[in-house]
Amino acid sequence: MLWYKAWLETRSRFLTSLATLTIFSSIFVHHALYIACLNTFPCPEEVRHSGWRSEFHFLLFVNQQYVVLMWILAVVLLGMGGLLREKALGTSSLTLTLPVSRARLMRVRVAMGIFQAIVLGVVPWLAVLIISFRAGMPISVAQVGFYILLLVGGGLIYFAMAVLVSSLVSGEYTAPALTFGAVLLGAMLFDNWLRRFNVWRLVTGDFSIDRNTFLLSKQVPWPGLLGSLCVAALMLLASVIAVQRKEF
Amino acid sequence: MTSEPAILTHGLTKSYGHDDAVRGLDLSIGRNRITAFLGRNGAGKSTTIKMLLGLIRPTSGSGTVLGKQITDAEQNRRMRQRVAYVAEDKSLYGYMTVEQTINFARSFYSDWHVDAEKKLLLDSELPANRKVKSLSKGMRTKLALLLAFARRPELLILDEPSEGLDPVGIEDLLRTLVSCSADGVSVFFSSHQIAEVERVADHICILDKGCLLMDASVDQLRQSYRRIDMVFPSPPPEREFQISGVKRIRTAGNQVRIFSSGNAEAVVERARNLRVVSVEVAPVGLRDVFLETVREN
Repeated sequence: MLWYKAWLETRSRFLTSLATLTIFSSIFVHHALYIACLNTFPCPEEVRHSGWRSEFHFLLFVNQQYVVLMWILAVVLLGMGGLLREKALGTSSLTLTLPVSRARLMRVRVAMGIFQAIVLGVVPWLAVLIISFRAGMPISVAQVGFYILLLVGGGLIYFAMAVLVSSLVSGEYTAPALTFGAVLLGAMLFDNWLRRFNVWRLVTGDFSIDRNTFLLSKQVPWPGLLGSLCVAALMLLASVIAVQRKEF
Repeated sequence: MTSEPAILTHGLTKSYGHDDAVRGLDLSIGRNRITAFLGRNGAGKSTTIKMLLGLIRPTSGSGTVLGKQITDAEQNRRMRQRVAYVAEDKSLYGYMTVEQTINFARSFYSDWHVDAEKKLLLDSELPANRKVKSLSKGMRTKLALLLAFARRPELLILDEPSEGLDPVGIEDLLRTLVSCSADGVSVFFSSHQIAEVERVADHICILDKGCLLMDASVDQLRQSYRRIDMVFPSPPPEREFQISGVKRIRTAGNQVRIFSSGNAEAVVERARNLRVVSVEVAPVGLRDVFLETVREN
């Protein structure tokens, strides 16, 4: 039933984000197909111009930039809440007197958040895949998988950051404001001084894109993804420790 | 059945900076009885309860609830399996319906009684499909109490359980407390409603400024506490009555009122030696015991 509680707490945020991301991606890819196909849709083979493929793939790469932005916004909001917020609302005494350890409460919340983050990464790209397939301009499943892998594998660090901040700060607006501030500041600082370690560029596919074909054709950036996942895991561990030490 | 106290603390202390919310609390709450935990606002009652349940850590001292160390996270978790708790603010998840809240709570406890739950739900007239956030304070209190009473825990800890209830609800609550105790459940509850406490409690603990001032059975209080009103021909010297058991002496002209926790016979004897005109010895209610005890502190 802890799963049920976690679902009830996050379902409106999750479903709103899912609908927004999916609708946005669907409209975007529809327009991308329209542009790539000389403003004709559906698009028969004979009307396609010679460079449509790279144009279309470039637009998919642009789509990923917007998806990443909205996805980060969504996972940060999904990472909010938890016991500190419950303390502010007065319900923490009910949750913490259940015969359940604080670590388990955190585990369930984090697992639910990760599951939702994955769904938020997969479903919009699945919509893109289906729409382009139906339009007769299919994109490869491998490309879609690559985008999703980058988004979820690299981006979970943003969710972990949100969980950590919400385990330290209880304010309804303070916690998300701090997290968004940290995301923005991190992106700016890393881009100026440590560009190779900029998670934003990793997640959007900037490090993996071929600038001629606009396909993610380079190798999967495993060190970057694993490094990002390790930092995310450390942040989540720190959140559990913070909550275990906190007084309610 | 174990003779180990339901709650046992040694020198339990909780400090916030330089302020002690609870100071060196030595508490021993026996099993199978109703113990009332009395005190003024800010006396440290809720802080004590929160320490017992592991919500906050003691600054020093130790304690056990049902034999489990309160500061050991795993032991505390196992203890909570056997304890039902109703918090002072009766906060519940506003986004759940009444039915969802009951289903949620039921899933954690093996001692849940579905029949008792159904009866309580019927008696309390709670709308099963309504969201908790739209319930009145009284309804929320009834739901919080239902979650505790639908189980048969070994220990019930209630923080201001009657707050927000109407007279009928309070009457039902008191009856349920007595029935739980008769079924072998130990009850430990804090309250400001002394009249209610007097009706159901077997034992009283009075806390003030974080210190335990009194730990006695209600019968013991009834037998030993007395108010003695005396009239003398001329104002008597107060020091004549400063003997063991005398808690407070109030003199107004020739009249003297003494509040004693015992030794009333010795007071009367001294008054007679001072040629008292009239003496009236009366038993004292819990309300007066409480007021005199905290005033004295």
